[in-house]
Amino acid sequence: MKIFCVIPAWNEEKNINTTIKKALNYVDFLIIVDDCSSDSTLSEAKKIQAEYPDKVIALHHPINLGQGAALQTGNEYAIEHGADIIIHFDGDGQFLAEEIINLTNPIIEENYDIVFGSRFLEKKSDIPNFKKNVIMPLAKIFNRIFFSIKTSDPQIGFRAMTVNTAKKIKIENDRMAHCTEILFKAHKYKLRIKEVPVTVIYRKYGQKFSGAFKIIKDLFYKKISE
Amino acid sequence: MIQQIIALLILIFFISKLIFQWRKKTINLNEFVFWLIFWLIAGLLIIFIKPIDKLVMNMGFSSSGINLIFYVAVLFLFYLIFKMRLRIVKMEKDITELSRKLSLRK
Repeated sequence: MKIFCVIPAWNEEKNINTTIKKALNYVDFLIIVDDCSSDSTLSEAKKIQAEYPDKVIALHHPINLGQGAALQTGNEYAIEHGADIIIHFDGDGQFLAEEIINLTNPIIEENYDIVFGSRFLEKKSDIPNFKKNVIMPLAKIFNRIFFSIKTSDPQIGFRAMTVNTAKKIKIENDRMAHCTEILFKAHKYKLRIKEVPVTVIYRKYGQKFSGAFKIIKDLFYKKISE
Repeated sequence: MIQQIIALLILIFFISKLIFQWRKKTINLNEFVFWLIFWLIAGLLIIFIKPIDKLVMNMGFSSSGINLIFYVAVLFLFYLIFKMRLRIVKMEKDITELSRKLSLRK
C-alpha cells in the first residue's frame, strides 16, 4: 500500500521543515502544496525536495487559493501518481506525525474508506476554552442540522482516505469550508467512516469565530451556485 | 414639473457619458444599445409619470407610480447582484482549475 501525504502550506517557513521530516517517517511519498506563500515556504519545500527527490514533491499555486484548493491539488497529484491511501496533514506542525499510523490502520486492516481524526474522542488536546465550549459545539449543531453529519469533530484537518474515496470526493470549497464538505460528501456517498482520537498542539488559535461565518457563507454560496 | 426637468437633465448627463464611453470604445455596441434603451425607457417613465400614476391606481396599487418604479428597480438590482455573484463563483472556480493545472504541469 502506497501512502501519500498531502501537506498544504501557506506562510509556514518556520514549521514546514520539521513537519515534513517528521511525517516522512510514516509515509511513502509527501506532497507539499505551497499556496502562494509570501515568505520562504516554497524555497524551504524545494530544499527538502532536493534532499529527498524520490519521496517529496513541492507544488506551487501561482495565486493564493486556500487550504481546500491546496488539498485538492495534492489529491489530484496523488491519484495520478499511484497512491493507495492519501493523508491530509497540516503544515503548521499542530498534528503528531506518529499518529498517522492510527488513521491508516483502519483503512488497511478494517477496509474503511475514510478515517477522520477527532480532538474530542479522548482528552489529548489542550483546546482553547472558547473554541471547545462555543465554536465547536455550534459547528457540530450546524453540521448536524444542515448536512446530517454526526462525527464528533466538525473541523479537523487530519484525515486519511483511500484513493477511490479521493476520486469520489472532489473538494470544491477552496477555503476553510472544505472540512464540512468532505464530511458531508463522505456521508452522502455512504462511505465507511471511522473516527480515531488525535492530538492537536495549539501554537496559534486557528479558526476564529469570524471564520465560522466565512465558512457558512462559503457553504451557502457553493450550495446556491450548484 | 421642476423635479421632472431635473430628473431629465440628470438622465441627459448619463446618456452623454454613455455616448462618450462608446466613442472612446470602452464599451461595445451591444452594451451601448442596452444602456441607451434603458435610459430612454427611464426618460419615458419620467415624462409620463402622471399617466403611470393613474395606471398604477387603476391596477389597485396604493402607492404612486414613482414608488412602484423604485420597488421594481430594487428587485431588478437584487436579481443583478445575484446573477453577478453566481458569475463570480464560476470565475473563481475557473481560476482555481487553471491554477491547479499550472501547479500540476511538470
